Amino acid sequence: MSLKIEYVSLVFGDGDEQVKALDNVSMELQPGQLMAVLGPSGAGKSSLLAVCGGLQTPTSGKIWIDDTEITGASRAALTRIRQQQIGFVFQQSNLVSSLTALDQLLLLVHMRGKRAGKSDRERATKLLDEVGMSNRLNRRPHELSGGERQRVGIARAFMTNPMLLLVDEPTSMLDQNRGKQIVELLVRECHEYNVATLMVTHERGILDTADRVVDISDGQLSERTQ
Amino acid sequence: MFVATRDLKFAKGRFLLMGSVVALVAFLVITLSGLSAGLVKANISGLMALPATHIAFEGTDHPGYRNTMVERYMWEGWEGQEGVLHSEPMGHTVFNARTEDDKPLEIALWGIVPGSVIEPSVTEGEPLGTVENGVVITRDLLDDGVTVGDTIILDRVLTELKVVGILNESRNIGHLPVIYAPLRKWQEATYGPPGGPPPGEQLPDIVFDFVSIVLLQLEEGVDIAALDNENETLTFDRNGYFAASTGYKSEVQSVQMIQSLLFVISAVVIGAFFSIWTIQRTKEIGLIKALGASNAYVLKDALGQALLVIIVGTLVGLVGMFWFYQSIKDTELPFMLERTTITTSIIMLLVAGIFGATMSIRRITKVDPIIALGRDR
Repeated sequence: MSLKIEYVSLVFGDGDEQVKALDNVSMELQPGQLMAVLGPSGAGKSSLLAVCGGLQTPTSGKIWIDDTEITGASRAALTRIRQQQIGFVFQQSNLVSSLTALDQLLLLVHMRGKRAGKSDRERATKLLDEVGMSNRLNRRPHELSGGERQRVGIARAFMTNPMLLLVDEPTSMLDQNRGKQIVELLVRECHEYNVATLMVTHERGILDTADRVVDISDGQLSERTQ
Repeated sequence: MFVATRDLKFAKGRFLLMGSVVALVAFLVITLSGLSAGLVKANISGLMALPATHIAFEGTDHPGYRNTMVERYMWEGWEGQEGVLHSEPMGHTVFNARTEDDKPLEIALWGIVPGSVIEPSVTEGEPLGTVENGVVITRDLLDDGVTVGDTIILDRVLTELKVVGILNESRNIGHLPVIYAPLRKWQEATYGPPGGPPPGEQLPDIVFDFVSIVLLQLEEGVDIAALDNENETLTFDRNGYFAASTGYKSEVQSVQMIQSLLFVISAVVIGAFFSIWTIQRTKEIGLIKALGASNAYVLKDALGQALLVIIVGTLVGLVGMFWFYQSIKDTELPFMLERTTITTSIIMLLVAGIFGATMSIRRITKVDPIIALGRDR
């Protein structure tokens, strides 16, 4: 199992001001499975990604990534887990502005304390080739279109062979056609590399490619039957 | 420095601007250090060359070289005391003077006992004592065109001094070139009547009972206060007798204050730049942290970047300063370059710059990676 969540709640504020972003959420995600979490703005989608990615500590409940419990782990340990076990795909513009497409991927190698060698470059080039960016290796984000940036973001997420892929609104800044292409690409890559993928979105038009679809509302999950 | 070096290339305009500011500050700091050293040289190089651990002045409240008068019993009182290795009377008077061709000069006339430890070794001509009114001049007067065989006439007292020797080194006090004269000639010029004694007469002995200061070579642990009390003198160590030179303390303090301000300015400017740079990069820092970078990684990257800008800027400033030095070294500007002065200035500048940058960059550690998900933190 790549991701397991048990009775996770995330509460902001006190007393009457209290807001439950996640309310007693439980779920499991298998390797190679893409789960789409659908919900309107404020339903708790980002909170779910934040707790699963170790970016926020839940108020209660437990989370495991590949049998490692991350709830209660130190900040340094969470940083290591994100570095080694989790891949992120953020919304459109989340690339480092001074880095070329190739460097966006090599940065992850460097962050692990290694110098990017020939094999790292080959892997980065292969991943960028798979997302159709082989002719844009040396372009910086401002030289790429929205769809191209998102493709680089997807390639980057697979660079470190993650156990879990967390995807945040990958189509929010794209038109429907391009959005669909991006999701199809995600599904293909997640199946090919056997990575458990949790994708949050508010767009219904891209759901038919997901292995599982879960609705989120007021911090509670309810699974659909496809 | 994976991101840092790429940032430098990507935002080269901004970093070029910042590097130029650092270079300018480095140039100013090192130039001021050179000026400070030059001023010191112009003010006290004569004193620095004296072989004295201490100097005894007349025991007044504010003794200085221009207003001290030490009587024979006072300087003789120091002789042979326990712990006093050597004592030597010396005269100091500032005179306006003229050369034979009426060129005006302002000089510090030092009266010394010929053959004493104070007498410099001449590089040209004869030492003191070969001629009754023979004097040894130093480089600044040589640069003014005075040379061996010339006559210098002291204004007001009309004493004629014959240049017999040259010391090809700068020896100044209070920005005035020193002329070494036999002590008796100095006493005659300072305390005697204008024009010297009437023909066929001699000056009274009392004229020769006064000097300005007593040079001392003291052993450690000598009870200076007791000897001062006994001899009615006031004794200073080397730093003290340097500071007694007119204007020396205030000149050096002024330059040092400007230098200190420049160090503060460089810390603030560099700090402000990296502060703005860090704020602009907050979102990217959050992203990099979310991708798994530790605080140490992002800090190392950002500090390395700051260090690179500061070092390169400083080196450019240093090159600029050497260029400046080449263009002014033959002028009268009091400027002196010494390895220690340059090294100290550079180290101080680097410390100030790194301090400023660190103060700004440390906020990186506070950036929450959750902002990568679009949350405000």
